[in-house]
Amino acid sequence: MSEVSRRELFRLGAAGSGALVLGMVLPGCATAPDEREPTRVGAWSPNAWLEIDPQGGVAFTLDRVEMGQGTVTGITTLVAEELAVAPENIEVVFAPVGDAYINPQYGLQVTGGSASVRTSWQRVREAGARVRAVLLASAAEVWQEPVASLTTEDGHVLHPDGTQRLAYRELLEVASRQGMPEKVTLRRPEDFRYIGKHNRRLDALAKVTGEARFGIDVELEGMRYAVVARPPAIGARLVSFDDSRARQLPGVIDVLAIERGVAVVAESYWQAMKAREELSIEWDESDAVKVTQDSVFRQYRQAADDSAGDTERNEGDAARALENADQVLEAEYEAPFLAHATMEPQNATAMVTDWGLEVWAPTQGPDMARIAAARTSGYSPGEIRVHTTFLGGGFGRRLTQEYVEEVAEIASQRKEPIKLVWSREDDIRHDVFRPAMLHRFHGALADGRVRAWDHQITGPLIFDWFARNAAAAQYPWAPRMFYNTLASVGRLTEDTFLTPKDHSAIEGAVDVPYAVPDLQVRHTHSDAGVPVSYWRSVGHSHNGFAVETFMDELAHRAGEDPVAFRLRHLEDSPRHRDVLERAAEAADWGAPLPDGRARGVALHRSFGTFVAQVVEAGIEDGAIRVHRVTCAADCGRMVNPDIVRMQMEGGILFGLTAALYGEVDWDDNGRLEQSNFHDYTLMRHDETPELNILLVESGEEPQGVGEPGTPPAIPALGNALFALTGERQRRTPFRAGNADA
Amino acid sequence: MTITVRVNGTEQSVDAPEDTPLLWVLRDWMGLKGTKFGCGIGQCGACTVHIDGSAERSCITPVARVAGGEVSVTTIEGLADEDSLHPVQEAWLEHNVPQCGYCQSGQIMSAAALLDQEPAPDDERINEFMAGNLCRCGTYPRIHAAIRSVADGGAS
Repeated sequence: MSEVSRRELFRLGAAGSGALVLGMVLPGCATAPDEREPTRVGAWSPNAWLEIDPQGGVAFTLDRVEMGQGTVTGITTLVAEELAVAPENIEVVFAPVGDAYINPQYGLQVTGGSASVRTSWQRVREAGARVRAVLLASAAEVWQEPVASLTTEDGHVLHPDGTQRLAYRELLEVASRQGMPEKVTLRRPEDFRYIGKHNRRLDALAKVTGEARFGIDVELEGMRYAVVARPPAIGARLVSFDDSRARQLPGVIDVLAIERGVAVVAESYWQAMKAREELSIEWDESDAVKVTQDSVFRQYRQAADDSAGDTERNEGDAARALENADQVLEAEYEAPFLAHATMEPQNATAMVTDWGLEVWAPTQGPDMARIAAARTSGYSPGEIRVHTTFLGGGFGRRLTQEYVEEVAEIASQRKEPIKLVWSREDDIRHDVFRPAMLHRFHGALADGRVRAWDHQITGPLIFDWFARNAAAAQYPWAPRMFYNTLASVGRLTEDTFLTPKDHSAIEGAVDVPYAVPDLQVRHTHSDAGVPVSYWRSVGHSHNGFAVETFMDELAHRAGEDPVAFRLRHLEDSPRHRDVLERAAEAADWGAPLPDGRARGVALHRSFGTFVAQVVEAGIEDGAIRVHRVTCAADCGRMVNPDIVRMQMEGGILFGLTAALYGEVDWDDNGRLEQSNFHDYTLMRHDETPELNILLVESGEEPQGVGEPGTPPAIPALGNALFALTGERQRRTPFRAGNADA
Repeated sequence: MTITVRVNGTEQSVDAPEDTPLLWVLRDWMGLKGTKFGCGIGQCGACTVHIDGSAERSCITPVARVAGGEVSVTTIEGLADEDSLHPVQEAWLEHNVPQCGYCQSGQIMSAAALLDQEPAPDDERINEFMAGNLCRCGTYPRIHAAIRSVADGGAS
């Protein structure tokens, strides 16, 4: 597919948030060559991100996917600022797989960890600034004027005489002969025209007219539709199948066994789905994982009893301080497995070409998608091209690439274009879940302060599951037979010089901000065999709940106001204090409320951003009702303030959804009980609280915004329910119980 | 079998099984990809279209129900006039509503149907009407404000 048609896909066709990912740094040579596709006729393509054509079109290759969190607007704003072209006048192209586009935080071409603006802030601005410097130098050469006397404005260089101007497109030939400057000066914040000011989403028009093209909208000539019957329980294996009834149905083209199940290929999705229902499949469930939430927490409790775990933070002597304390407060919290439930179900499209395999996928990791396709198709990564589309939500779900493995296998066998679509039931039942985690706390108070704090976290490490395609994606030259070895090496070397430490279980707990003299955080590893993955805010999603609920319990035990009690432990954390004070003030903390309502507070820093929230909630007709959320956030400098606001709004509602409804469970035969939105409930329009978002103006480095709104929403609601009812919420989803106020 | 459906003002004939949900006929036979698949059971509203002006879930509407050309189907592609956006779409832009955008066609079709039938709904009515359209990104407050602005503008 040519560059132009790839653009076409975006335009005609013209996506949440991500999660923390770990990359490996196994020693080795460079990865496969960059996939820099042919450019437009006469265009100047000075680096991996920018291309200016003779008609004046400026194309920006965006290397972080759009899943709703705003990269199309945010990162384009960065390049617009330094290139001096209005964001609206830049055409955004989704990046192919290429070394230049690797996320420096992870060593993979990953969008997640609320890292897109943070990791682009310097790199993309410099890319734009270099190109602007060359254009300025080119104009200086044309006019024979000193560079310092020239200025730029929306795609033009301006002559010092105030009348002459040269469009960038008129300078392409001269510019292409210039060398790139090594060093560039970035625009000073006081001179910003777009950063901190541009708010209108560049993808909004395509998304209100229905023209935005998501993965599920990819259309290829002669394309067939595939659905897959997957194991009914985790780890069940295909023994045999009878497709005689299915094959008789209209539109059915083929039924074939693939690694992950039985695929039905038909002329339409609907026909494929009807045929799937007619398959008789025998599964071997002897190795199937048969767990329930209860059995998993039993397993975790046993593990926590048996092993103190790894000490991840240790200050003073928590064990001794607890031993010597008059009174020890103990609490245990449970966070269950959660599905992602992106609105766009998982899907991918693939086509065998004369040179290899072409894949279209709504994925958060196109390089991992390429490995996933290589695993099952027989093509090497160098023969596979991955095109990224808009993502109908991500939240970490699309870091895992099974849908690409499936479609690549089907398309390479069928030798015709295949679109694979997961039904909603497939999407919930075969999700890779936010891990269930168990938290145990022991705390002691002295003189109204926390003296000792021991936090034991029990549960799996996400990297154990994620290494599968992530490890090999860093070594795309490695033969396929080594993919699993690379993954094993990655797992075995976790937290050595070869592979960074996996913080997924402990983030948000080891960095508890409260000043406590004797403090210990431990992780006891226990994996129930349920596939797990990154889920919006990852470890912070459960650690934020546990830490901020326990802090509330300590405040209550101390007989202190929850806000004042927290502030007392934050003497050396000014930005934590600041957001907490702002949220409390804006929420009228301490002021009387109507009967049947109460407030709760929580404070949590994640992905660099400080967030405090006050939730006002009640219980009506036995159901929890969230009335109002006040949120103060300090994410450093804001690139698009209204997008920061949107992400806080969305993050809060995502957290509240988990607090109110989030849970999946299995029956005794290992079948997931939830399957669709009637039993995996999301918050709806009529339940939405009033949201009051306060954003702190700051000149500090920009930090993450996609995820940090989520963690505090959960404990803030739980703490409000405690204030209302006197019953502590120690497990999500919360229950109103019989405590009608 | 050949089925004729009047979509966005034009009669189109497709060769599709008559129990096929309208959603898939629109998307896969007619190439109208703006209408989205979210759940297949009428729970999320991503597939909302207008059938004779009323907001309906196309994923649970057999195409046979709208066959024959008597019934008029409108999708997101047919909501706006030739050269200007529908007021609801304008309000969506004004309030910077979409995030991932996947549910927004359905949200807009629901909102447009509501405002067409009841130009000045109160907050409770908006809540009730829009409760059938899920959004995982959490755009509800902006959707509400956008509908509110059209309703208030329409009343003046």
